[in-house]
This record gives sequence, structure tokens and C-alpha cells, in this order.
Amino acid sequence: MWLPILGLIIGMAIGLLADIHIPAEYSNYLSLAVLAALDSLVGGIRAYLQNIYDETVFVSGFFFNILLAIGLAFIGVYIGVDLYLAAVFAFGFRLFQNMAIIRRILIAKWSFRKKNKNS
Amino acid sequence: MKQKTIFSLTLISALFGFMIVLQIKTMHQPEVKETRDVWKLRENYLAAREMEANLLAEIRKANETIARYEQERLHSKEQAFIETLNELKQEAGLTELTGPGLAITLEPLPQEMYPGVDNPYLSATILRKMVNELNMYGAQAISIAGKRVVQSTVIREIQGATRIDGFPLRNYPVEIKVLAATLQDAEKIYNSLQISSLRDDFFVDRINMKIGEPEVEVTIPPYDGTIKIDVMESSDEGASE
Repeated sequence: MWLPILGLIIGMAIGLLADIHIPAEYSNYLSLAVLAALDSLVGGIRAYLQNIYDETVFVSGFFFNILLAIGLAFIGVYIGVDLYLAAVFAFGFRLFQNMAIIRRILIAKWSFRKKNKNS
Repeated sequence: MKQKTIFSLTLISALFGFMIVLQIKTMHQPEVKETRDVWKLRENYLAAREMEANLLAEIRKANETIARYEQERLHSKEQAFIETLNELKQEAGLTELTGPGLAITLEPLPQEMYPGVDNPYLSATILRKMVNELNMYGAQAISIAGKRVVQSTVIREIQGATRIDGFPLRNYPVEIKVLAATLQDAEKIYNSLQISSLRDDFFVDRINMKIGEPEVEVTIPPYDGTIKIDVMESSDEGASE
């Protein structure tokens, strides 16, 4: 379980050390990609806790969601509709839902363990 | 957790961390705040002005130097010599010339007009006559089959072949290029050639002379041999100068 966190730290370190700057006009897309990635990660954790984790679904969902969100925003810019809001709404909504499910599962586990200790 | 799962999870978290940091870096580009007060600004402005004045002075100095060098170059004896040399070279036909002019093509008459008669004969006499006539009509430069005609050019028959400076004219068509001073002059040459007897002279020798329309650009190659001046002597006039 520690390895993913280490990966996160390594990724951040690479981002900090590498001198890469995204032009300001693309920062919208990047923020959307970050949101999609966060959604996929949280969804993956939830699936793992519910024991329905599927590797292929998780990895493909991660990249597909990012591409879809960016594609939607891109099309939105060209047809003059703020389509990126749809992605923000969908991802945000699901993020909260998944978080709530994770919270419940963790609380259930915690209380189960407490009960076992007491008995 | 399976090892593969952990690996992919690690990779994706790393990607996520990288993206987040990139986004944060993009959003938080440091702003440079203006903290100078009016006096400081004024000072900076004055310094910039002074630098501008210095740079302008330097540019002026450099321009003066350039102008001086240019002047010296133009008035130097060396330059005069080079110019004279170039002029003489041009006059002697050692340079390539381009300008308005026309092209004349000499080609054998179709066989059916003279059945049974063999090759056409390009006579040196008629060729010489043509060069003379062209010069008379105001040609500036002439080339025959890519050979420049200069003062010392010899057109004569050696061992059955007409040669220009030793170069045999065996392959037809033979192209003669004529350079004129202006397009009007080229037209004048064209008109003069039309009424000249040259065409008939060539026709007798079974050669058809085609006179091309005046062109805006005709290129005459330079003379490629060495001009022998062994027997030349400077005139008294030239020596006394």
C-alpha cells in the first residue's frame, strides 16, 4: 500500500525538478485532466475496497477519462459551449460519491475491528 | 494485492502527482510586483536615457567609419585600376554578357528539296560576311555555336570543316546569338537581317537560316581561349600619355 504513495511523491518530485511549463492557455485542459485522474484514482480505491477491482478497467478508465475530458473541453471551445463544465460536474459528483462510499467502508471496517477487540 | 496491480497503481499515482505539480506550477507563476517609487523610477529612466544617448553616439561613430572606408575605397587607385581592367575585359569579350538580342539558327534544308544531294556546306566566307553584317547593323557581341566572336576570332576552313577559332562547326543546328544595346536595336538588327542577302547565300549551300524574334534576354558566353598579343605594339599616342 505504500508503493502508490511513493509513486505519487516520485511523480511530484519529477514535476518539480523538471523545468516544464505549460502555456497558460492550456492550463484549463490540464486542470480538467487532473480532475479526471483524481476521479479515476478515487474510483479505483473504492473498487479495491469493495473487492470489485479490475486492473484493465482501472488503467483504461484513467486514460480514457482524461482524454474524454480534454476532448470535450476542446470541442466546447470550438463550438462556443462550455462543455468542460459537463466534465467538471460529472467528475466532481462522482468524486464525492466515491469518497462517501470509501468513508462508509472504512468506518464499517473500523467499527467491526473495535467490536472484535471488545468481545 | 497482486504485484502487477501495485505496479500499475504506482505508475498512475506517479503520473497523477506529476500532472498536479505541473498544474500548480502553471497556476502559480510568480508575479513581479512593481515596488519602485517615483524617484527610483525617475532614476531608472534617466539611466536608460543616458544609455540610449551613448548607443546613438556609438552608432553614429560606426556609421562615420563606414562612410570613410567607403569613400577611401571609391577613390583609391586600386579601385580605378580594377574598374579599368573590368572595362577592358568586357571590351575584349572576356566576360559573359546578358541583354536584349536575338538568336539565328542555321540548319540543313529538308532532304526532299534537293534529292540526291549530300550534306549541307557551311561556308566560312558567308559566315564571315554574316559577322561583318551583324557588326554593321550594330551588334554588341556575337557568339557562334557557343563560341564568342572577338577581335582576333578566325573563321576559316581547315581540312574540309569550317572552324571558328579552331572549333569545327559540324553539328547542326548552329546557333548564332547576337546581343544588341537595346531592344529597339535588336529589332533593327532583326529587320536588317530580313532584307539581307545572307539568307539566299546560305540557301545556295543548302542551309536554312532562321531568324529568331528579338528577345529581352540573350546570354553570350565569354571568350574561352587566350588572346595572343605577341605582335601587338602600343601606339605612340598611348605611350606618350
